[in-house]
Amino acid sequence: MTSEAATAAIPALRSDQLFVNLGPQHPSTHGVLRVGLTIEGEVIVKAVPDIGYLHRGTEKLAEARGYHHCVVLTDRWDYVASMPNNLVFCLAAEKLLGVKATPRADALRVMMCELNRIASHLLFVGTYGIDIGAFTPFLYAFREREMILDLFEMVCGARLTYNYIRLGGVMVDVTPEWTAKLKEFLEYFKPKIDEYDQLLSYNPIFMARTQGVGLITAAEAVSWSLSGPNLRGSGVVYDARKADPYCGYENYDFDVVVGKEGSCWDRYFCRVTEMRQSVRIVEQVLAKLPEGPVMAAGVAKIPKPAPGEAYAHVEAARGDLGVHLVSDGGVSPFRMHVRAPSFLNLAILQEKLVGMKISDVIALLGSTDIVLGEVDR
Amino acid sequence: MTAPKPAPAKAPLPEPVLNRKNGILMADRRWPTDQWAHPWSLPGYRNGALMLAGIILGILGGGALIGELSKWGDKLYALMAAFATAKGISTVAVDAVWVAIKVLIVLHVILVNGLWSIWWERKISAHIQSRVGPTYAGGFHGWAQTICDGIKLFLKEDITPAAADHWVHALAPAIVIAPCIAAFAPVLFGTDLAAARLDVGTLYVFAFAGISVIGVVMAGWASGNKYSLLGGLRAAAQIVSYELPRGFSVVPVIMFAGSLDLSVIADAQSGYWWGVAPRWFVFYPVVGQVAFLIFLIASIAETNRTPFDIPEAESELVGGFHTEYSGMKWSVFFLAEYAYVLLASFLLATFFLGGGGSPLPWAPFTLVPSWIWMLSKAMFMMFVFLWVRWTLPRLRVDQLMDFNWKFLLPWSFANIAVAGLYLAFWLK
Amino acid sequence: MTQDELLAKMQKKFPKAAKTAVQVKDYLTVSLPSKDDLIPVAAWLKKEGFDYLDMLTAVDYLGPVDMKGYIRQANFNVFLPEGAAPQAESAAVAGYAYRPVLELVWAFVSMKDKARIFVKLEVPRDAARAPSLSGLFKSADWQEREVFDLFGVVYDGHPNLTKILTPDFLQGHPLRKDYVHIKDRYDE
Repeated sequence: MTSEAATAAIPALRSDQLFVNLGPQHPSTHGVLRVGLTIEGEVIVKAVPDIGYLHRGTEKLAEARGYHHCVVLTDRWDYVASMPNNLVFCLAAEKLLGVKATPRADALRVMMCELNRIASHLLFVGTYGIDIGAFTPFLYAFREREMILDLFEMVCGARLTYNYIRLGGVMVDVTPEWTAKLKEFLEYFKPKIDEYDQLLSYNPIFMARTQGVGLITAAEAVSWSLSGPNLRGSGVVYDARKADPYCGYENYDFDVVVGKEGSCWDRYFCRVTEMRQSVRIVEQVLAKLPEGPVMAAGVAKIPKPAPGEAYAHVEAARGDLGVHLVSDGGVSPFRMHVRAPSFLNLAILQEKLVGMKISDVIALLGSTDIVLGEVDR
Repeated sequence: MTAPKPAPAKAPLPEPVLNRKNGILMADRRWPTDQWAHPWSLPGYRNGALMLAGIILGILGGGALIGELSKWGDKLYALMAAFATAKGISTVAVDAVWVAIKVLIVLHVILVNGLWSIWWERKISAHIQSRVGPTYAGGFHGWAQTICDGIKLFLKEDITPAAADHWVHALAPAIVIAPCIAAFAPVLFGTDLAAARLDVGTLYVFAFAGISVIGVVMAGWASGNKYSLLGGLRAAAQIVSYELPRGFSVVPVIMFAGSLDLSVIADAQSGYWWGVAPRWFVFYPVVGQVAFLIFLIASIAETNRTPFDIPEAESELVGGFHTEYSGMKWSVFFLAEYAYVLLASFLLATFFLGGGGSPLPWAPFTLVPSWIWMLSKAMFMMFVFLWVRWTLPRLRVDQLMDFNWKFLLPWSFANIAVAGLYLAFWLK
Repeated sequence: MTQDELLAKMQKKFPKAAKTAVQVKDYLTVSLPSKDDLIPVAAWLKKEGFDYLDMLTAVDYLGPVDMKGYIRQANFNVFLPEGAAPQAESAAVAGYAYRPVLELVWAFVSMKDKARIFVKLEVPRDAARAPSLSGLFKSADWQEREVFDLFGVVYDGHPNLTKILTPDFLQGHPLRKDYVHIKDRYDE
């Protein structure tokens, strides 16, 4: 038998593409995200992110609630860092009401948001380590995050959904005992960031898994409207704290952290370095914390702003979080739209995942640091 | 009409704990600074010493089972043989009983190792991660945790998915564990202390250890789950690939010892250079260290542990090939994993760390029985396995293969060549 | 570039683009006369440096929200006494010009100048159509799907205009003011 005949005698090996559901219950989708992956061997041929499993209709609910009630709704968007959510709604509503927060309230808002940014980035460092397969950094990061949550619990009684920043100011003032604890924490925390670098950031296997993986160019990042560390990781210098300062951010000295090539490692390292900047900001706030009341006078129990529109945006832990409020003069917002950074950061995946390996999908998905509560709202 | 009964006097409610003070909520919980001062959260050296004591106790306890029994082995066999001849029973029957006893002992090595190493891994990982690990079950450092886990696993429902190939699904754990037990036959537990002395012991161990991959692929295929399938295929590619550098890295050892028999290999490492330094193969300049490292790395890959745990990669493939297993079938996979770790530890100790030999040629060390040295070395290597697992992230599939074919394999070949030069010029 | 300079520059190119009566506070807001102007304006803005489509949404000006179907209790403040007057319920505000239009809102940001401009376009509620910006800005893809899902605005030229947030069986567009929730199998 010739070799051709031998080959013909063997039936052709049937190979097929495989459809795999990544999620909604999967250890690495960080919530109820579902990505429909079509794979050929280990390589992704098509990826379709499917969201909406956590859609609670916040924007609709806000249309039937008073402005004070809406602050509670905001906590549930990005539940990992909900201080900026409170803040951005209050800033937009204050613009409508024509109220200005007191200097001490502004300083406290900045402080709480930066502490929350640290807590959120710590969670990212930990869970990203798990995504890449290193379980140990997770517990180190959570040890420090726990202390920040304890600080929040001391000041407002809640550990996750704070409802601390209110229209016109903040809920309660902090005490000297609390600021002493905060100083203690900052001194404890600063060397810990170096520890994460030693443990994870400069680990050769971690770098091999994340550097040069999931590259997003600056042009792509802008076109897909990425924001936060995802945008800055690609080298675009845009930070709402510098571009459109709020709450007196222009008075504090800090740097905008940008990455070089837009790889997963750049986005990761942006966040690690941002924690150092946040510590700097908190220290400056502590050094010049103004005295005075923490709640502006003249915020009604049931506020009824004059008809108008306002847009406020802040640099939340995950990116540029915005709220667009329309008032018809009634007791509830006529329309509230949330510009959710995670929602936009997630959209790029459908294009970027194609051609990657399954392991890289997890690396890229983890590095975008989405919170599904914010994606689905 | 009677007057309405006065309401019974209620006991006064307890005073609410005032936790709101000066306008801020004072948490009743312990403030974290106390937590920072807590010894567990720091690198707990004090408790590390306690742990070490526990580990030594564990080694002594586990080893006594084999080591001290073996002293009575020859007498017991002679007694049985005398009894058999007196009663007119065939010596074949005596030998059969004798083999059965040895098999039982080896089987218990694997089972006790499962109990011990799961608890140990939990403790080691906990301390690496600034936790305390199990503390409750059993009282002393949670020693009974694995037993409780085992009871839980026995009581769990054994689920076979509807889409699974039932027979293959049930057979896979058995195919994983059976060769693993068989592979322990020629493994040395001390000087000349093994269940069976085989001339081709090295080959035998590698041959049997390699069979398990079939069980893993069967598990992945039969589960009817795409993640399991991917995990099974990854495992097949990985384990088959890493067999090569693992085998070739031992070739220098075999060349130096001149035999495949594990006892001969261990004996070839007895003696000391300049009366101090042990002649262990790991101390042979360059060749010994390279072979040791390649064998260690390939062994970690063979046992599917981080950084080479891509077949079960929980953040990617949920659980890999054992996603659809539960209860005892699942725990058999884990028993096999820990048994392979133990096997690799014993092989490392035999091939490179002098087997049951003492590290120093002086009295207190040389008086220690060989099985204690063997177990200590094996347990140290096991600690290295756990240490690596809980420190490093996971490689990607292609990086894993690159590392094997482009790095480990060429170096193991070069190592053999250099070992040949040693034989020709140094050790002739 | 100040807001007035930008407006003047824009009106030179697009004379019909005008400042809206209700400005988004602190930001320049421009209204477009017809939906045909949207693509040229967006392309011009992108050329001028406004290369970042920050936000894309819609507002329904029909009237106060219809709360039937998703507010279970009229008075959800549990600390109020029995029979208290309902609080914070949306009701028509006298004197506000409700009108049956959907107002589409786009926000563009210049990464270079850190400036922001809002562009608005009114479309009738029963024929809510607008051209899609997904050819110019990739981020318009999901945001337009969201507005389509919640408001029923059809974006012409969108490659994949399907529901994104609400479940497939949900009828209607929930953020329209006259939307009434129909009980389905997930309601108790």
